[in-house]
Order: sequence, then C-alpha cells, then structure tokens
Amino acid sequence: MGALRDISTIARWEVKKSFSLMGTNVLPLGIIIFVLLIAVTGFATQSGIHLQDGMYKVGISDQEPASLIAGDTRFAVSAFSGSVPDWQGNSFDLIIISDKVYQRGTEKSRAALRTVARDYAKYVNSVYTREEDLFAAFPLWIEIQPQKSELDFISTQSGHSVTAAPGLQAPVPEGPVVEIPNPSPDLGFTKEELRQELVKTSAANPQISRYTEVLGADNPPGGFKTPSQLSPSLPFDSIILIFVFIFPLYFTSQFFMMSIMNERIERRGEILLSTPMKASSIIIGKMLPYFLGMVAISTGLTLWIQAPLTILLPLVPVIFFFLANSLLIGMLSRSFKELSFLSLFFSTIATMYLFFPSIFANVHVISFISPLTLIVLSLQGTAWTVTDYLYSTSLFWLTGAVLFSVAILNFKDERLFSEKTLLARFREFLSEAISQKQPFLSLILLAGFSIPFVFMVQLLSLVLFFNLPMPYSLVLLVMVAALVEEMAKGVGIYTIYSRDPAFFAWRNVVLASAATATGFLVGEKLLLFVTLAQITESVFGSILFLSLGVLWMPLVLHFTGVLIVSCCLKLGGRGWFAPGLVLAMAVHGLYNLYFILGWFT
Amino acid sequence: MKARHLSIIAKNEFRGLFSERTILLAILLQLFIALFSSFLMVGLTSMYDPSSLAKYSRFRYNVAYTGNDSQMLDELSASQDFRVYRMNLSDGVAALKERKLSAVIWVPQTLPDAQEPVKITLYTLQNDLQSAIVDLKLKDIFLHYETDLRTVRAGRLHDAPVPLSIPNVSGGDFYEFVYGLLIPLLVFMPAIIASALVIDLLTEEYQHETLETLISTPVTFAEMVWGKVLACELMVPVQAGAWILLLMINGITIDNAGLILLQVSVTSLILILLGTLTALYYRERTAAQFIFSTALVVVMLLALALPVNPLNLLTRLAVDTAGMEQWIVLGIILGIVLALGLVTHLYAGIVGKSHQDG
Repeated sequence: MGALRDISTIARWEVKKSFSLMGTNVLPLGIIIFVLLIAVTGFATQSGIHLQDGMYKVGISDQEPASLIAGDTRFAVSAFSGSVPDWQGNSFDLIIISDKVYQRGTEKSRAALRTVARDYAKYVNSVYTREEDLFAAFPLWIEIQPQKSELDFISTQSGHSVTAAPGLQAPVPEGPVVEIPNPSPDLGFTKEELRQELVKTSAANPQISRYTEVLGADNPPGGFKTPSQLSPSLPFDSIILIFVFIFPLYFTSQFFMMSIMNERIERRGEILLSTPMKASSIIIGKMLPYFLGMVAISTGLTLWIQAPLTILLPLVPVIFFFLANSLLIGMLSRSFKELSFLSLFFSTIATMYLFFPSIFANVHVISFISPLTLIVLSLQGTAWTVTDYLYSTSLFWLTGAVLFSVAILNFKDERLFSEKTLLARFREFLSEAISQKQPFLSLILLAGFSIPFVFMVQLLSLVLFFNLPMPYSLVLLVMVAALVEEMAKGVGIYTIYSRDPAFFAWRNVVLASAATATGFLVGEKLLLFVTLAQITESVFGSILFLSLGVLWMPLVLHFTGVLIVSCCLKLGGRGWFAPGLVLAMAVHGLYNLYFILGWFT
Repeated sequence: MKARHLSIIAKNEFRGLFSERTILLAILLQLFIALFSSFLMVGLTSMYDPSSLAKYSRFRYNVAYTGNDSQMLDELSASQDFRVYRMNLSDGVAALKERKLSAVIWVPQTLPDAQEPVKITLYTLQNDLQSAIVDLKLKDIFLHYETDLRTVRAGRLHDAPVPLSIPNVSGGDFYEFVYGLLIPLLVFMPAIIASALVIDLLTEEYQHETLETLISTPVTFAEMVWGKVLACELMVPVQAGAWILLLMINGITIDNAGLILLQVSVTSLILILLGTLTALYYRERTAAQFIFSTALVVVMLLALALPVNPLNLLTRLAVDTAGMEQWIVLGIILGIVLALGLVTHLYAGIVGKSHQDG
C-alpha cells in the first residue's frame, strides 16, 4: 500500500510541476502560435506549396500549348523562336514547337517530359468531361473488387513472390470454389452524377488528396473509375495514419525525458532521493502522468478517426518502450545537447523499426515484427490473433521491462549526478547490474536479458537487408547477426574487465565465458519457443536464430565466441576488445555459413 | 564585442560537442540514413509517386480473363507483363485468393459502339505490394482499350482537345522526388538541428547555473550569446556539405554545391536567431523547445507557401535553373537576418545587464 501512496504522491507532484511550468509563460504564446498556425495553414492551402517551382525550363513557340502547362509552376516557360529545336547551351529542358514536344535525352529532360505528359492527360480529361455524350468520351469504367487473400503467413514467408510458378495450364484452385454471380454491366448512376464526380476528382491534387482521403474516406459513387483515375491500392495509405499516432508519442516522451534530466541538474533530485520512497516508486510515479497522457492522446485520435479501439492494444507496449528509453536517455545524458542528439538518434531508429516492416503488411510474415502492422490490420478490418499480438509486441514489453529495471537499479546519487562520458556511464549502469559476489550468475542473467535487444537489432537488419538480392542479403545478414550477438555477449565481459582486470584469471575467463554462453543460449531458446516460432521456420530465421534441434553445438559456438573476446581482452587489454569482436564475428559467421547454408561443402 | 572572445566561446562549445561525442551520433545517423538510401529511395519514391513502382518488376503475372471476348483480351495476350488464362469467374476469384493469380478481369457483353459505357470488373488482392504493381501494369492496358473505344465512338464527340504529340520515353521517375523533395529537405535539416542546438546551449548555462562564472570573466553576456550562435552556425555548412557528399556518393549529381551551402548557411541564421531569442526569453529547455518547435512549423509552412522561398531555391540550384532571383532572395534573407540580429543583440544586452545588476 505504501508504494501505491508514494506513486500517487509523486505523480500528482509531477503534474503540478509541469502545469505550473507551462501555465505561466508558455500558454499565452502557445495560443498565439496556434492561431498563427491556423492562419498560415489557410494561406498555404490557398497559395499551394512552392517547393518545386521553376524546376524545368521550357521553350515554347506557340501560344496554345503554352497555355496548357502555364498553370504548372514546375515549369519556367519562355518564348522560343525557330522551327528546329536548339538547346542554346543549357537554356531549355524541353522545347515545344507547334504541337511537337522535343526532349534532349537527359534525366532531367525526361522527367520534365513525364510531367508534361501528366499535365496534358489531365487537360485532355477535363476537355472530355465537358462532352455531352459522356460515355463516348469515357467509354470504359472499371469497378474494383478487392479480395482478401486467405493464405496464412507460413506459405509466403520465403521472401519470394507469392504467385505460383507459371505454367501453360490455367491455375486450379485447391480450396472450395464459392460461386460468384456475374457482375451487372450497368453502372447504376446517371451521366450527370458521374460527370460531377469526374470534375471533382480532376480538380483535386492527387499528391495531396491521396493522403487526405485516408482520413475521410470519400470514394466515388459505387467505386467506379475511369482508367486514368486508377491509382494503385498502395499499402502506404494506412501508414500515413500511423504517423498521426506515433509523432504525438515522441513529443510527449520528450517531456518525460526532460523531467528526468531536470532532476539531475544541480542535484535537484537529491531531495527526492533522500525520502524513504523506493526508486521504483519515484520512477513509476514520475512516469505515470506521461503514460496516461499518451494513452489519452491515442484514445482521442482513435475516436477522432473512428477506428476500432483495439488499436490501442498494440500501442500500449510501444508507449511503454518509448518511456523506458526516454527514462534511460534522461538518466544517461550529461547535457541538453547530448539529450537532443540521443533522442533524435533513438527516434530515428525506432521509427525505422516500426515503420519499415509495416510496409509489408499483408505480404510477408516479417511485417509482424512491428506492432504497427497490427494497427494497419485493425484499420483494414482484418482480425489478428493473440499469437500475433505476442509475436509483435513481446520484444517491446521485454526490452522496456529490462530498461526500466536497469534504470531503477541505477536511480541513486552516485549514478544520477556523475559527470563521466556517455560510454563510461553506460558501463557503470551495466556494472550496477553485475553483482560483485555472484558475478557468474549475473553474467548468465545479463546475457539472457540482452536477448530481446539482440532480436530487435537483428530483426531490424533483416528488414533492411531483405531488399537486397538473395546471396548478398544472406551473407550480410549472417555477418551482422554474428556481430550483434558477439557484441551482446561481450558487453558483460568488457564491463567486468574494466571494473576489475585482476578478476580475469584464466579460470575465471573460462567460467565467465561459459556463464555468458549459457545465459545467452537459454534466453534465446526461451524467447524463440514463446514467440518467434513463425519467423524461425524461414530460411532467414534459421540464420538469425540457430536451429532449435541440437543444443550443444550452438552452446560451443557461443562459448567460443565469448572466449575469443575475453582472451583478447586479457592478453591485449581494452584496446583489443573491438578486434576480438571482429574475430569472433568471423568465426561465428563462418560457422553459420557452413552449418546452415551448407557452403564450402 | 571582441572577435577573440567570440571564438573562445565557439571553440569551447565545439570542444564540448567533440568530447561528448554527440557529434558522432549525428554523423552516425547521417551515415545510417545514407546507407539505407536504396531502401529509402524505393519506399519513399513510391509514396511520392506510386507509378514508379512498376519499373521494378519484369515478371509475368498470371491474370484470369473472364466474361465475354473483347479487344482487350488481345491486348492482354500481346503484353509482355501478363500471362492470360481464359477462366470462369468463380474459379478465377478462388485462385486469386490462393495467390495463384494476380488479378481477375470480368468483361461484360456491352458492344464497343453501344450507347452505354463498358463496365469492367477487376478483382485484385487488397492492400498488397504486388497487386499495386499489377494494378499499374493493368492501368496501361485499360488506357489503351479506352483509347480504342474512344476511336470507335469518336463520331459522337464534339470538342477535340488541343493536340500535343509527346514522345514516349522511359526514365526520369526519381528525378522530381530526389531533386524536388529529398535534397531540399535533407540539406535544410542541419539548419533545424542547429537552431534546436542553440536553445540547448543557452538554456544549459541557465539551468546548470554556470552563467555567473561566465559573466565574471572578461567575456560579456552578448559575446557569450554570439559565440554560441557562431558555433551552431558553423555546424550548418559542415553537415549540409556532408549530406551533399553522401548524396553524390549515391550517384546523384548536384549542381552549384557551393551556392547551396551559401543559401543554407544564411537562411539557417534566421532559425538560429529565432531559437536564440526563445531561449533567452524562457531560460528553460522544456518550454523553449516546445514553443520553438511549434513556431518552427509556422515559419516553415509560411516559407513554403511563398513563391521562390529558400527551400525552392535549393531545388533550383541543385538542378541548375536558378537565375538572378537567388541573389534577390539572398538579399531579402540577409535583411531579415540583420534585423533579427539587431533584436537579438539588443535583447542580449538588456538580459546581460539585468544579470550584472543581479
């Protein structure tokens, strides 16, 4: 009960502090800026965004074609006299003489030509829209019937195209065939209704409307389109929405980061630490208002776009993860600029991890490593299972929890107010987690708890290398995976070595390596069994996560890797840590290439 | 104001940046982004212009043709992109759902010269990267068929559009995205980072209460402020130059690199000085950063809504179409910078005096 009371006291205090800070000075100016923002937004929608003005230079001999592209600010139009194209050095990218367009073969000229072609197609459509006999001008209409693929992920996970191998025979469906009635040949709308829709869509700027349409779904009646109106059903649309969700979270976690940092400035937090409250209560109390705030913002956004509230479920672990990182960044950085750069770095990496996989939603099992994929699916109305949820959020829960416990262990005077460099502080934080009395047990645990981070980094590299052609992506993946694993294992050893080099007697070197290898292997297998079974069955998975069958071989491998690193440390000192890592990576990588891919045989 | 004092402050800040290795993080981030530029290029370009995706595939997609015969069947069969199967509708859709086909097309009985339009029904997989590519390739076929039908029905049309014959070429897909969006945004990013940095540097002096020590030295308060501005300003061309270099390594030729750096450096001073003023007013990081980042959105949006804005100039310089207007804009910006500089100087003087008085 005491802890709960402490937490609520701290939380109330935190809210009061941030409101008093914001209220006095910031609010009036904030309101003024908000009003200005609305005014400027209005102005910008009127005048348009002028980022690409005057990119292309066009010479035109006649009035009529000039009027066709005059409305497009990307073109800087000037008069051209003469009947054969003459580029006059670098004066023109395109030349239009009477009704002929000439390009000069450069990349820029071709880009300009494409833009002219698009503008012209738009103009032609606008002329046809006025035709009395609309169905002579637009004789072809297309109705799109989106279908859901009913295959599960396992069959699409090899990373290749999902279409079956081509044959001369028409493919025969294996499952039951549902009888589909022939679609009616009628549009079911009058000419004038369709005409209005054409006028409306041709007026909108597709570059903008494609994104705004997601927010307020405004489909043409019946979903009919002329061929030129067809724009691909890209999976990116829902991802725009995701940015609506994630950016407020970054913003709010900035405040949390700053609040932690403020406690450390000039030892202000000393009063807090001198109270009998536990570090965990202080941290949770300080975090609670931000957590609730972020959940409230997400709920508000969900209600606003009228999405199902289930999308909050995958968002909560993301919020938890963000807060854990903000806490650590706030505790680690020594100055504001360091705070800024660290948070920038973190948010870029986190965005990559969240964003890239979800591009492949519905396509590939890899997309499920990002909780955002679940949000995309929810928005589409596709159901996901508890297993999917565990699979995509467990790493966020686990890493968040590990980071929080590291932060709680280190939430005390000598860590918070130390002025050492970033790396030294990082080592100190870890050193706190390695007990002096039970170093081997600590190493086992440390290695085990590093697994979620290792998986995260490896999965990120999987997503990034996924796009490269096949042999390269595998080799790169093997090497990066090996390096990441060796680094994770080496960190504990390195920390112990820099704390107490005398500890490194040969007997202890072997024992420490064995402890790390065991912890790593146990953690790896446990997490794999629980969550990642799907991904491990693919060829990529077998590289990242050694096969589950034989246990002694990976144990020996992990042991060898750590032993190489610790021997380098013992013989060469701290300067030999990095070369040791590279050596271990090479051994580890070659082992993987040999055993998993069966190369060199 | 003494130049020596300025350079002492600036050097001191640089030393801080290097000793903290924060600058390393920034460089690492730049490299990281540049390293995955191929991914960025594909991903972002297709967000910007989905039709560029179609170039990525030279694969023949399986398509089912159902319903009645038409000229489109011939066009589909002749296409290099598709392998067409004549099927019945229900079988086709079932095979589509099993991903054995990429699309199913149903064509009605409507005659080419009928009064009514021809309504084709297209079955594709929902929200799928591959079906996005297939849709784009089918769009070409549909457009062809539309032209054919239009020719058949041409007698019923009244107005003909102004003719313009545009040659058929390939390529140029990335151009507008790279030069008209990526380059101005990436090259301008250091200016935003620098302006956030100046807030950090100034509020730090207040919140770490190191100000008194600084004021007791011969360096005046205004000199201290300008020294920090100088340090941040010097970072801009370095970082922007690094972006240009990284883009060039990625095979993107950029014209007028020197002039681009000049424009960015001068324009960034507006943001840095705005940041300075905010920091001097609030003297506390959370509030200052919050107000500044919101104000930044307003300023950037306003700038983008104006013709020949500095970001547009970066595009024009990169593609070598900038003329005299760049110097006029530079002049206007210099004027704004001078005015802001004057305000900053006066305000710093007032603030400094109040500190000296205690």
